[in-house]
Amino acid sequence: MLPRLPYRIQIPMGLVLAVILSVLLVSVVAAQISARSARLEIVSTVQRIVDLLVAQGKPLLAQDDTWRAFTLLRNTAALLPQTGKGQSRAALLDAQGRFLAGSDPLRLPTGEQALGVLINGRLLPTTSDAARPINLTTPDGGMTLVEPIRSDDNQVIGFVFAEVDAAVFAPDWAALSTPALIGAALAIIVLVPLGWLLGRRMARPIAQTADCIAQIGRTDPVQLQLLLPQLQDPELDRIAGAVRQLLIETSAAKANEKRALSAERLAAVGRITAAVAHEINNPLAGLITATRTLRLHGDAPDTRDRSLDLIERGLQQIRTMTTALLPQAKVEDRCLTPDDMQDILTLARATAVQHAVAISSELVQQFELCVPSTVFRQVMLNLLLNAIKAAGQAGQVHASLSADAHKVNMVILNTGRHLSDDRLQRRLTTDDGNDPNGFGLWICHEFAVRYGGGFTAALAGDIPRPFTTRLSFWLPNLTHHDPQKTAVD
Amino acid sequence: MQRRTLLEFGVSWSLLQTSAQAQDRQRAAPLRIGLTAVILADQAAFLTRWSDYLGSRMGVAVVFVARESYQNILDLLLTDQLDAAWICGYPFVLHQSRLQLLATPLFNNRPFYQSYLIGQQGKQGLLSGWSNLRNQVLAYSDPLSNSGWLVAQAQLRAVGLTPRDLRRSFFAHGHRNVAEAVASGLAQAGCIDGYVWETMQLQKMAAVEQTVVLWRSDWYAFPPMVAKRNDNNPALWALGEALQSMTKDEQGASLLRALNLTGFAKPDAALFEPIKALAASVNMIRA
Repeated sequence: MLPRLPYRIQIPMGLVLAVILSVLLVSVVAAQISARSARLEIVSTVQRIVDLLVAQGKPLLAQDDTWRAFTLLRNTAALLPQTGKGQSRAALLDAQGRFLAGSDPLRLPTGEQALGVLINGRLLPTTSDAARPINLTTPDGGMTLVEPIRSDDNQVIGFVFAEVDAAVFAPDWAALSTPALIGAALAIIVLVPLGWLLGRRMARPIAQTADCIAQIGRTDPVQLQLLLPQLQDPELDRIAGAVRQLLIETSAAKANEKRALSAERLAAVGRITAAVAHEINNPLAGLITATRTLRLHGDAPDTRDRSLDLIERGLQQIRTMTTALLPQAKVEDRCLTPDDMQDILTLARATAVQHAVAISSELVQQFELCVPSTVFRQVMLNLLLNAIKAAGQAGQVHASLSADAHKVNMVILNTGRHLSDDRLQRRLTTDDGNDPNGFGLWICHEFAVRYGGGFTAALAGDIPRPFTTRLSFWLPNLTHHDPQKTAVD
Repeated sequence: MQRRTLLEFGVSWSLLQTSAQAQDRQRAAPLRIGLTAVILADQAAFLTRWSDYLGSRMGVAVVFVARESYQNILDLLLTDQLDAAWICGYPFVLHQSRLQLLATPLFNNRPFYQSYLIGQQGKQGLLSGWSNLRNQVLAYSDPLSNSGWLVAQAQLRAVGLTPRDLRRSFFAHGHRNVAEAVASGLAQAGCIDGYVWETMQLQKMAAVEQTVVLWRSDWYAFPPMVAKRNDNNPALWALGEALQSMTKDEQGASLLRALNLTGFAKPDAALFEPIKALAASVNMIRA
C-alpha cells in the first residue's frame, strides 16, 4: 500500500516507521540491560533488608514477640520491591523454622512450618540446611533468601526469610518505553512535517515530469520541453532526459507527419483534379455529340433547339459539379424535372451504344421532384455511366426515377458483377484516389450525406433478374416539407 | 538560756521554711496521670486538650503519661512516679490493697463494659466462637487486661481448651493492636476491650472495619481511675471531682464525647467483685 502513496506521504511515514523501529530496538536492548542491572540492585536491596531484620529480629525472637516482629516486618517489608503488589514478602522464623510473623500474614501464616516444606510453591531448606545463608533462585527467576539469626553464643534462634517473585525482576516496559515513546512522539512531531516538505520537494520534479508526459500529444512538444524541470539528481535527470528525448522525437515525428500530410494533400488534390477532369469529360462528350448533331442537323429547328438546350444543360452540369467540389460554395439550383432524366439518358446513350448496352428507363412521379437538379443530374449521370461500364458488352441497364411525398429516389439496375452494399461502403471509405469509378461513387455518397439523403446497394436476393446490381440514391423531397422553398443549397 | 532559746527558735524557723518550700514545690508539681490501652491514648491533641481542661478545673497542671504495657503504668504508680492511673479492673483487683479508686468511667451511662472475641470479617463460617479456636492463632491484648486476657482464659477453660491447643498466641500490647492483628490475618481471633472496639468503630478505623465480633462477655466493671492508697495529695481529690463534673460544662462534655464516654461516676469497689471472682476462677488470684 505504501508504494501507492505519494512521496510527500511516503517519506514522513517512512521516517515515522524508522523512528518507531528504532524505539522498539532501543527499548528491547535497554530492557535487557535494565533487567540485568535491576536484578543486581534488587538482590542487593533484599540482602540489606535481610541484614536489618537479622539485627532487629534477634531480641524479638528471644522474647517470642509476634506482634513486634509483625510490626518490624510490616515496616521493613515496605522497603522490599513491589511489596504493595504482593510480589515480595519477609518473615521471621523461630528456631524450629515456623513463622513467628510475616509481613503478609495470609501468605506467611503465623505458627505454620516454613523450613523444609513447600512455601508458595518453593521448597525451602530444612532448619539444618538453613544454618548458613541460603539464596535460592527459582526456575521462573524468583528469589528466596533464608538467613539464620544467631544468639551471642552462636546458637541459631531463628531465621529471616525473604521472598521476591519473578515478576519483580521483569523489565518494567511501561517505565522503559515511556521516555522512548515521548522521544518518538517528539521526533514524529518534527519528522512528519519535515518529511512532508521533503517529500513534496522530491515529488515536485517528478510531478512536473509526469505532467509533461500526460500532455504529450495534446500540447506542442517544444513547449513541453520548456516545462521539463532542470534536475541535479542523476536518477531523476535520467528520467527527465528520457522524456526530453521522447519529446524531441515526437516533435520530429509530428513534423514528418505534417510533411506527409502535406504531400498526401497534394496527391489528393492531384487525384481530385484528375477525377474532376474525368467527370467533366462525360458531359463534354455529350456536348461534342450535341455540337455534331447541331452541325449535321442544325437546320431543323427542333433538333437545333434541342441540341442547344442540351449544350446549355451540359454546361450548367459542369458548372454545378465544379461548384459542388467546393464544400463552402453556395450554389443556387432549380428543382429536377422529367426532362433532366431524358437529358441524362441522352448523354449516356452514346456510351451505351459503344458498349452495346441496352438502356431502359422508368419515371414514377407522384409528387414534384423538388431536389437540386444539378446534383441529381450529376448523380444520375455518374450512376448510369458506371452501370453501363459495369454491365459490360451486351449488358442491360435500367434507370428508374420516382418521387413520393418524402423523397426523390433514383434506382439504377445493371447486369454484370454484383456490387453488394458492404462492397459499396468499403469502396466509399477506401482511400483509392486512382479509381475514377470509385471517386464517382464517392461523389454520390458525399451528395447523399450533404443533402440528407442516402446511397445504398441492395442485397443480391432483392434484385429482379436479369439484373445483378441495384444502386439506390435518394434525396429528401423538399416539396412536402416546405412548399415555398426552392431547391437552393 | 537565751542562747538556747534563740537556737531552738532558729532551728524551728528553718524547719518551717523548709516545710513551706516543700509545700510550694508540691503545689507547683503537675499531677501525673498514667494512661494505658484501656483508651485510645495515642491521640496527642486530645490529651493536650484534656490535660488543659483538668488543669484549669483543678488549679494544678496535669500531665498524661502513656505506656503500652499495663505493668509499666502499674510499676510507675506503685513506685510514686505517677499520681494516678487509668488501669484495667484486673490489675486493680490484683493490687486492690495498695490502690484506691478515684472515679469510674460511664460507658453508655453505665460503669460497665464487655470483652469481645473478634475474628476476621467474612470468615465467621470458619470461626464462630471459642470452641473453634483449636489450632488457631489468638491475639491477646495484655497479660494484665481483664477483657484482653483474663476473660479469654476463663472462656478457653470453659470450652475445654488450653493454650497448647492453640497454634500460637501472643500479646499485641494493646487492644487496638489486637484489632489490627486480626484484621491483617496475623491472628485468626483476638480478645479485645468491647469499649475500645466500639470506639474504634465509631471513629471508622480501618482495622476494626475488617473485624467482626464473634462473642461478647458478661458485663464487668469499667477500667477505673486509681491512685495509690493512702496518698493524701489533695489534687487527687480534686481530680476525682473534676472528672465527675465533666458533664456539667460543654468543654467537658465534648471531651467525653471524644472518649466515647458519658461521664465519670463515684467509685464503687463492689463493682469489681466479678473480676475478682473471674481471676480466682482461673487461679490468678486467691478469692
